[in-house]
Amino acid sequence: MRYTTFNQYTTNPLTEPMFFGNPVNVARYDQQKHSIFEKLVEKQISFFWRPEEVDVSKDRIDFQKLSEPEKHIFISNLKYQTLLDSVQGRSPNIAFLPIVSLPELETWIETWSFYETIHSRSYTHILRNLFSDPGEIFEDIVVNEEIKRRATDISKYYDDLIFFTQLWQTQGEGVHSLDGNHYTVTKKELKKKLYLCMNSVNALEAIRFYVSFACTFAFAERELMEGNSKIIRLIARDEHLHLTSTQHILNLWAKSKDDPEMADIAEECKEEAKHIFLTAVEQEKQWAKYLFKNGSMIGLNEDILCQYVEFIANERMNAIGFGKPFEIKNNPLPWMNNYLNSDNVQVAPQEAEISSYLVGQIDSEVSANEFDDFDL
Amino acid sequence: MSDHSNSRSVKVISHQLEVQHQAGEPLLLSLENAQINIQYHCREGYCGACRTRLIKGNVEYTTAPLAFIDDDEILPCCCEPATDIEISIE
Repeated sequence: MRYTTFNQYTTNPLTEPMFFGNPVNVARYDQQKHSIFEKLVEKQISFFWRPEEVDVSKDRIDFQKLSEPEKHIFISNLKYQTLLDSVQGRSPNIAFLPIVSLPELETWIETWSFYETIHSRSYTHILRNLFSDPGEIFEDIVVNEEIKRRATDISKYYDDLIFFTQLWQTQGEGVHSLDGNHYTVTKKELKKKLYLCMNSVNALEAIRFYVSFACTFAFAERELMEGNSKIIRLIARDEHLHLTSTQHILNLWAKSKDDPEMADIAEECKEEAKHIFLTAVEQEKQWAKYLFKNGSMIGLNEDILCQYVEFIANERMNAIGFGKPFEIKNNPLPWMNNYLNSDNVQVAPQEAEISSYLVGQIDSEVSANEFDDFDL
Repeated sequence: MSDHSNSRSVKVISHQLEVQHQAGEPLLLSLENAQINIQYHCREGYCGACRTRLIKGNVEYTTAPLAFIDDDEILPCCCEPATDIEISIE
């Protein structure tokens, strides 16, 4: 079915499935089939922030003081975050918008992607402050073997879905030949690709991102790179919503509260989907090895980070009915919660509690010894 | 729900403990005050980290939860017991 930007047929968005129904026509939100997506849009918009609001100037001094292994950890982690948000800033739009059938979900996807672009912009903000020429860092993301290995796995499910959607929308179901290859396109096959892709997105946002957040916050625990940590807190707050949305989509399918065929597919592809999560876990552990190859940092090492990967994977897989495949019971990085708690996210620059943000402002703390040399 | 008491009993089956909940505070806080190890992130109902199984009784949400919760689950970070309840924390 060819995509149309304004479907001229009257459709009932209250009975359409989330994906692969009729293309959306009127962007209306007075009624919703799945009201959760409208609520997520509202919440996400209320979280609006700009990277420039966060003063990262003190980070430059902190960065110079880091040891070489720590610099490697910090920069590699930032490169990885940049890769993840580069993918997420465009892929939900390109992969999901051509096949979405509900107005509230369409807008959620657009809102979600837009926030990922804010995240990408914030990495430039951070790096521009740390280096007079951040070009080298960005250029390495495309050639660094360790990062490339992850990028392949992250993008392949999106790419597969996008390519088959293009075939389907231009040529319909059937066997199509392109450049000497034959591709069998059926709606069922497309839906399977969508299901696997959604699992891969959930693994990316619910596991991979949190591993990178742990590295960022480990620096902040030592009162280093606090500007950067403040930005990543805002990013983490957004990512909570994003992972919530893909959990909702996956659960709506699995519990047969949307397209009944997707419930069958969820059952049929469950093992393959679990495998996506377990592969992500393995990759994140390899990444931990790479991060700490030159040495650890205070408060974090390869071992603890690998335990955290397993812990967070248990939580996330359990949330979508995949059980807890790992032994670990307790959070090995309990301080992470202090950074992920929305109460601790600074919402306006003047609300900063960490004195390093109060650059050029009056420090309200006055200790008694300030008056020591004061005589009447 | 015009009840005489400000305090509800919360039986944590998984921990074989009974906790008293004080009206006005989120259930999560009562559990934490009783030294029960429970996972959390956002404490505002949108991340789902504190997802807990409700075995018996009812809760009332102070903030409507955005995170996915199953029919038999609650988010202690943004609800209060409306009756005496029984829960299980994994």
